[in-house]
Amino acid sequence: MSKYWISLINSISEYFAYRLNFFLWRLRVVIGILITYFLWQAVFQNQNNVFGYSKTGMLTYILLITFLQGLVLSTQTHKIAFEINSGDLSNILIKPINFFGFNIARDLSDKIINTIFSFIELFFLYVVLKPPVIVQTNLFWLTLFIFTAFLAAFLYFEINILLSFIGFWSKETWAPRFIFSILVTFLAGTYFPLDIFPNPIYNILQYLPFTYIIFFPLKIYLGGAQNAFIIKGLIIILFWILILGYFLHYFWLKGLKIYTSEGR
Amino acid sequence: MYSVSVKNLKRYFKVYKRKSGLLPALGSIFSRPVTEVKAVDDISFNIEQGELIGFIGPNGAGKTTTLKCLSGLLYPSSGRVEVLGFNPFERKSEFLKEISLVMGQKNQLWWDLPSIDTFRLNKEIYELPDTEFNSHLDQLAKLLEVEDLINTPVRQLSLGQRMKMELIAALIHKPKVLFLDEPTIGLDVVMQKKMREFIVQYNRIYNSTILLTSHYMVDVKQLCKRVIILNKGKIIYDGNLSDLVDRFAQTKLITVDLCKNISEKELNHLGQLRSYQFPKAVFNVKKEEAVTLVSKLLKKYEIEDLNIEDPEIEEIVRTIFSKGIHE
Repeated sequence: MSKYWISLINSISEYFAYRLNFFLWRLRVVIGILITYFLWQAVFQNQNNVFGYSKTGMLTYILLITFLQGLVLSTQTHKIAFEINSGDLSNILIKPINFFGFNIARDLSDKIINTIFSFIELFFLYVVLKPPVIVQTNLFWLTLFIFTAFLAAFLYFEINILLSFIGFWSKETWAPRFIFSILVTFLAGTYFPLDIFPNPIYNILQYLPFTYIIFFPLKIYLGGAQNAFIIKGLIIILFWILILGYFLHYFWLKGLKIYTSEGR
Repeated sequence: MYSVSVKNLKRYFKVYKRKSGLLPALGSIFSRPVTEVKAVDDISFNIEQGELIGFIGPNGAGKTTTLKCLSGLLYPSSGRVEVLGFNPFERKSEFLKEISLVMGQKNQLWWDLPSIDTFRLNKEIYELPDTEFNSHLDQLAKLLEVEDLINTPVRQLSLGQRMKMELIAALIHKPKVLFLDEPTIGLDVVMQKKMREFIVQYNRIYNSTILLTSHYMVDVKQLCKRVIILNKGKIIYDGNLSDLVDRFAQTKLITVDLCKNISEKELNHLGQLRSYQFPKAVFNVKKEEAVTLVSKLLKKYEIEDLNIEDPEIEEIVRTIFSKGIHE
């Protein structure tokens, strides 16, 4: 276990070598949130209920994306594609350390740092904007929110590694990743809650993994979700986690057989 | 049991071909002709524990591919590979704990962190107790003379210093089998020499099996008793370096220091003159003619010094590569 712990510590230390980079990245996240925030604030100027959301609910949803950006969307798994193509993957393969364990540790370092910063930013945003927000105090919703956020993080981790595994078969890994990031931006609910889509579209979205990356946990945080919604959601997200886990295992073994350890 | 045992190993690669020019480039979107490259083509050999073996061969001969198959990075197309009794590709941790691979061109060190952070991670990965880790680290740092650099961020180290740190990271767990791919590439002459001395010492102290590839014949000449020569994926020689010279050197080099200046033409009459710059004349003659030439020289001229040598090993290997083996 301690090898993964040290991997985590080393990854965190590495972060501080590029402080400016990190600072600018956080700035980007905050600016993105602010744009969406002000957009929705304008929409709510003259009305108090839009698409079934109150102003308070909507602004809380938008602000909390900062937190989920840290916990769910922070990842270093895109490095894997590069490591496959450059042969750096060999450094892991040659040692008695589990590839997935190492990557979880490396990702945790990202998530920890970004989450800590998201708390600080949320605090400042709260102080400066003084928005009307829902502070969830119900322990059931809070626990379920954290639990589904962790599931979301795991699901996102799996999808990202799968995208990186394209590197085993092709040098062109950025295009699929680019498409994926666009899909996440629109279909995961980083601009607005997904249930404001017309019903036929929302019904399809429910079965896609994207929904569960951002929208599902946040909807639970806001409280008052129906039991059917929660149970159905949990079943679908677990289904995706299992099926993608199987694909990961399958493509990892396949990929290793054709891995050429190039560039070395 | 052999430390390394390879039987009928083959590793083929698919390579996509592309003609130059814009139209063929566009065409390659739809179909790409594939050819198969036989990087390693049916090789077999065995290595005992503690042997230090050199793999030599021109670029693309299959040296690195062989090492990668032995260390479990590449899945063999066919054939059997066994290292310390394990199938490398299964990558069992008992196996991985006993081996190490050093590549001269790439690094495992965390670029932005001091080397010690990589060493500490390796300590946990190989599950070394504190005392063992500390004593290995001291020992290796001393041998390589880098005690005061282990806290410097890797990106600030020179190439030579980094290479030494790579070695420490790779050897911290005292591997029983060590694969070195071009360990001296890019190093200056002094550093190359130190690296060679280190490899010999390491082999002697820990009785590890070491397989190394190198472009530099000096490396192999000074380090390895046994060599395996590869060309186009096949083994063309496997045996002692000294036997290689005995078997394949068809000529002798005779160097004489003359007391008087004699014309080049006259010397050329005696035997094939390779170079002449008074007072030194160098002949390159067939083995069986060497004795006659020497006696002629001694009879005819006043000679200050005389030396009979085998040709340089580089030359023998070069001949083997260009002409194949003729016994």
